[in-house]
Amino acid sequence: MKIGVINISIGNVGSVVEAFNYLRHDAAPVSDPGKLDKFDLLVLAGVGNFSTAMGKLKEFGFADALKKQVAAGKPLLGICLGMQLFADQGLEDGTTEGFGWIPGSVEKIKESTEKVPHMGWNNVTTSDKVLFAGVDESAFYFMHSYHFDVANSDDVIATVNYGDSRLIAAVRKDNVYGVQFHPEKSQGDGLRFLKNLLESLA
Amino acid sequence: MIAKRIIPLFLLKGKRLVKGTQFNGPFVDVGDPLSQAMIYDAQGAEEIAVVDIEATSQNRCINTDVINTMIRKCRLPISAGGGISTLEHANSCFAAGADKIIVNTSAVTNPSFVKELGKEFGAQSVVVSVDFKREGDKVFPVTHSGTKPVDRDLEELLLELVEAGAGEIILTSVDREGTLSGADLDVYKSLTGKISVPLIASGGLGSYDDMVELFKSSDCSACALGKMLVLRDYDIVRIKAYLTGRKIPVRDA
Repeated sequence: MKIGVINISIGNVGSVVEAFNYLRHDAAPVSDPGKLDKFDLLVLAGVGNFSTAMGKLKEFGFADALKKQVAAGKPLLGICLGMQLFADQGLEDGTTEGFGWIPGSVEKIKESTEKVPHMGWNNVTTSDKVLFAGVDESAFYFMHSYHFDVANSDDVIATVNYGDSRLIAAVRKDNVYGVQFHPEKSQGDGLRFLKNLLESLA
Repeated sequence: MIAKRIIPLFLLKGKRLVKGTQFNGPFVDVGDPLSQAMIYDAQGAEEIAVVDIEATSQNRCINTDVINTMIRKCRLPISAGGGISTLEHANSCFAAGADKIIVNTSAVTNPSFVKELGKEFGAQSVVVSVDFKREGDKVFPVTHSGTKPVDRDLEELLLELVEAGAGEIILTSVDREGTLSGADLDVYKSLTGKISVPLIASGGLGSYDDMVELFKSSDCSACALGKMLVLRDYDIVRIKAYLTGRKIPVRDA
């Protein structure tokens, strides 16, 4: 499968590419929005600020190109901030409009009994036996201060408990997939998740 | 519940890893950064931190090629530091694939730099490293690899750095570093409940029970291990088995 990892310099494209290549798939960073047609799966990874990332996607011409690809049914995986951009809006530094593929908004994790950022390895809870086959109770690596408050529970496929909060760990709606954790940084279990995704698309 | 993290802390000198005592030499060569990183990745470390110990004194930042080779072969988060004093330095580390950057001297001497980094890269990517020394009952921060005392209250400084946008704090006891004599527990205990971001204890951990005591007596989210891993007969698999037996929540990897 040919995998294109959107490269707008908002984070670690290299690790994502390497993880897919390790699984013997053909992944490459893609910097030209005109070339998205060539890939079977697109990946939007990133860390940082919601509005900065959305701004860069527009500036480099990826925002419209991605909307077209998703509307045409191309599978898209969002990782961390990449997933959060699927929301209607982000509330970091004012309100920024997101892609709106998955209704909801991205807001700061409430400081309760636990520290913010939510940082480190935490176990997910899921009922998805396909994407999380073999890793349905595993710990994955999380690294975020904002979380995706998803409007329709049907779009949620995995959650993670953090203090008093239940945060979204993974979402799916049709051909759009998103994970709050970093599968490319989650050792064997992260690779297994990516492998499951690739097999489900094959 | 989120697991306590075990973080091998690599000290980089040139292209090799070294280990000394209390931030000083003689430095013993402890291997190649890539092969060591792959070993701890395989053992189930939660993260790896790599710091270039000569960068600040040589007025440069960490060699990003080293970061890049580690990132390519490992499947765990890697934070990198040493001499990062500008946004360009930070950018070059992220471009090389670092998941987080570690800032020490430039953050402590100029907390507004932390603010800039947080705004540009997000607080979760910015780790602030603070070193301290103890003289009797008095603890005080130090910079420039432990050589320059800072006339500030340690807790007050940490709170200011969190306020400025630090996503995590690595707090290192210079006196304990490389001594395997246990962490300076009083300091981590006294900070419990006060720091709203994850706190990583560093310096002195030398046995299983040192780690148990640290996690039982403080709310530290993680610990950095140096000499215990690289120059003694411990590995992360056995450490985790021991911690699990003592009811410390660690990840089963």
